[in-house]
Amino acid sequence: MSEPASPSLSRPGSGRRSKGFDLLKFVSRYGVVITLLASILIFSILNDRFLEADGIRTSLNLGSPLLMLALGLTAVLAMGDFDLSVTGLQSAAGAMVVILIVNHDWTWWLAVLAGLLLCVFAGSLNGALVSYAGMPSFITTLATGLILIGVRYEIADGRNITGSRDLPDIYRDFGVGKPEPWLELNTPVWIAAGLAILMWLLMSKTEMGRYMYAIGGNPEAARLSGINVRALRAAGFTLVGFMALFAAFTSTARSASAVADSGFSTLLGAYAAAFLGAAASKRTLFNVPGTVLGVIFLQAVDRGLILEGYSTGVRDIAKGCILLLAMAFTRLGASRQ
Amino acid sequence: MTGATQDAHASLLEVVGATKHYPGVLAVDDVSLSIEAGQIVGLVGKNGAGKSTLIKIIAGAEQADEGHLRLNGERLELHRPHDATVAGLAFVHQDLQDVGDLSVAENVMLGLGYPRRMGVLVDWAELRRQAADALARLEADIDPREPVGDLSAAQQRLVMIARGLVQKARLLVLDEPSASLTDEEIEHLFAVVRRLRDDGISVVYVSHRLEEIFELTERVIVMRNGRLVADEPTESLDRASLIFHIAGREHAQTAVQRRTSRGIGDRPDTETVLEVGGVSAETGVRDCSFDVRKGEILGLGGLMGSGRTELVRAVFGADRRQEGTVRVNGTPIFGRDPAESMAAGLALLPEERKTQGNIMDFSVRNNITLASLDRHRIGRRVPAPSGRSEKRAADARIGRLSIATPDDRQLVRLLSGGNQQKVVIAKWLEQGADVLIFDEPTIGVDVDGKEGIYDIMEELAAEGKAVVFISSEFSELVGVCHRVLVLSEGRIVGELEAEAVTEPAIVEICYSQH
Repeated sequence: MSEPASPSLSRPGSGRRSKGFDLLKFVSRYGVVITLLASILIFSILNDRFLEADGIRTSLNLGSPLLMLALGLTAVLAMGDFDLSVTGLQSAAGAMVVILIVNHDWTWWLAVLAGLLLCVFAGSLNGALVSYAGMPSFITTLATGLILIGVRYEIADGRNITGSRDLPDIYRDFGVGKPEPWLELNTPVWIAAGLAILMWLLMSKTEMGRYMYAIGGNPEAARLSGINVRALRAAGFTLVGFMALFAAFTSTARSASAVADSGFSTLLGAYAAAFLGAAASKRTLFNVPGTVLGVIFLQAVDRGLILEGYSTGVRDIAKGCILLLAMAFTRLGASRQ
Repeated sequence: MTGATQDAHASLLEVVGATKHYPGVLAVDDVSLSIEAGQIVGLVGKNGAGKSTLIKIIAGAEQADEGHLRLNGERLELHRPHDATVAGLAFVHQDLQDVGDLSVAENVMLGLGYPRRMGVLVDWAELRRQAADALARLEADIDPREPVGDLSAAQQRLVMIARGLVQKARLLVLDEPSASLTDEEIEHLFAVVRRLRDDGISVVYVSHRLEEIFELTERVIVMRNGRLVADEPTESLDRASLIFHIAGREHAQTAVQRRTSRGIGDRPDTETVLEVGGVSAETGVRDCSFDVRKGEILGLGGLMGSGRTELVRAVFGADRRQEGTVRVNGTPIFGRDPAESMAAGLALLPEERKTQGNIMDFSVRNNITLASLDRHRIGRRVPAPSGRSEKRAADARIGRLSIATPDDRQLVRLLSGGNQQKVVIAKWLEQGADVLIFDEPTIGVDVDGKEGIYDIMEELAAEGKAVVFISSEFSELVGVCHRVLVLSEGRIVGELEAEAVTEPAIVEICYSQH
């Protein structure tokens, strides 16, 4: 995966005692990938509709906003911070954009720009409070997230805002359009893929990415090496704001509405994806390819269970168990070293 | 535990042949001593002489590799600190260990079993009464209900001593108890210690302040390099002989030999590259001024807590300065953050390599290039590191410094302590500053490794760089530095140059300041 140090996977026989095949080591190293492949295999045996192209496309489209949120989180998590306000931000920005277009007749791109301002402002506020004022990120973003959810309820009276008639087609195209006939993927999937590539370049190919991992490894040593720790940590939260806007934009465009939902399960899903991605990497670091894998994993399990007719509750239980299992595999490997 | 009949001056605690190894260090080397009942014994020695390890062995916090303890002539086995408490040994450590949010009474009784009502409920009134009794014996005017965090340092120490009384201690070990106490508070402390002695309690008093040793103790034990080098009645010693025991001679000789063989003399007559004027900081640095010239190696000596690390951190901008100016190559630096100082040509190799020097989960390569990553770009204006360029630089440093690692991709966490230190050095050599501050670079490094680090500093000086070298091993300073500044309590209190740089001279300045 994309550790800052060695972008390649474990090299064969790199200084390790080769004592034949070590099952435990193999499982702890590739547990996440094995479980993903196993789930895909089981689901495709149980139901031959599981591998249908159309269904996969829908699943990818639904998973795109989740990936955008998880990408932002990957950056802050890599620096050792949490951002729990991300879905509050997505939900508030989504409601604001839709209301501005539907109720106030704003041009769609102007409304999106307003949403962007909200997201960048709130993200930067998080960054300033955590990085410059020194408040703990967990509780600070919990508080700002709560405020944003409250704001969303107030501006929309706690209701869903539907805009199937008032949202312009060009706006809706960002959610359901298929710009590229090849592969027939929806626009959000392309946007998410583009963002993932940009984030991957940023985190594993640039100086900034190296510095971010240095901060995550040891903020004091990073500071004493001349790295601007505060600015980078703050920038991470602003980045989350950007990603939240993209998620809000594409999800409202797809459903032609802003749904009144606290976004709690989306929040957990985004974290689950990022942690699964870390568990899948050789040195258990948060990384972009891992996060992408995590989102695909969660979407696959979701889709498989839906096809089997399971309820939301059962699906959440299953995803929770998978996350626990992935962490257990990783710990197993770590405790043996 | 109580009512044991003890003859005056019968041996209370004996340490027999105690030896303790740490990786690469013989911390305590075959130490035998005996502490008599009702005696005040001073324990002195430089930092790293083995005092703390010896105390930890007596406290049950460390197990001796060899040797054993005897209490009242019977073999004493200490497997954990609680065993020492039960045996009647009490410790007041240098860094106070009480719990600031809890009340005085709770702290006095902490871990000794609170009095109870109906089996489960704490009897607070009884708890306070017992604590108040103990404090009264110390004539300490402290309200048992007050949170310990609100007390002065002196009062907190009395709380810890009261704890010892409640546990009916027969031996009390006071580790640097007078640090940060006023003269009046020290007088009260002495009175308390003497009263405890009159009650038959033995006291081991650890201090760097020799006046206190002469005033208070009846016997002095001196440790040096893990060995017990003197154990004599206080009255048979004078200041000079005590300093002689602390400093030692054999070490000083080799350092002086090294100094002469290398031809280290006057500081070079070159331009000044680092100017520090009147620097003070909240960390305890007070009005420090000095300068360093091109090609000079300046030593900073002093005891632990004398403010050397704090001074260089304030100079480098790792901590905020309250006052003072710093110029590097004539450029003023304002101490906003380390990046500013680095841009001006100043580098600090911090004392704690694990917590401040390295990113332990980064590879050797990525640590070495971390402070100079913008010189390893794939294109001049593309801020992306080139792995090939980084590898070339890292491999060169690994070779030059003989860093023992399988390759440049090994995680620093997996290297030995000495090699981790070399990685820190490699990072800053790679960064290429004009002034390099080495804070205790040789701690935990073996003899050959130390010699290698001296060589690096000398090479840097020969290249025209300026080096500041902090060490608690004064012989190192003697062997390497043109000039040595001695710090005490955050101030520069002495300066030695050329032939005047000797270990006894440094020790003399350190110990004459209290």
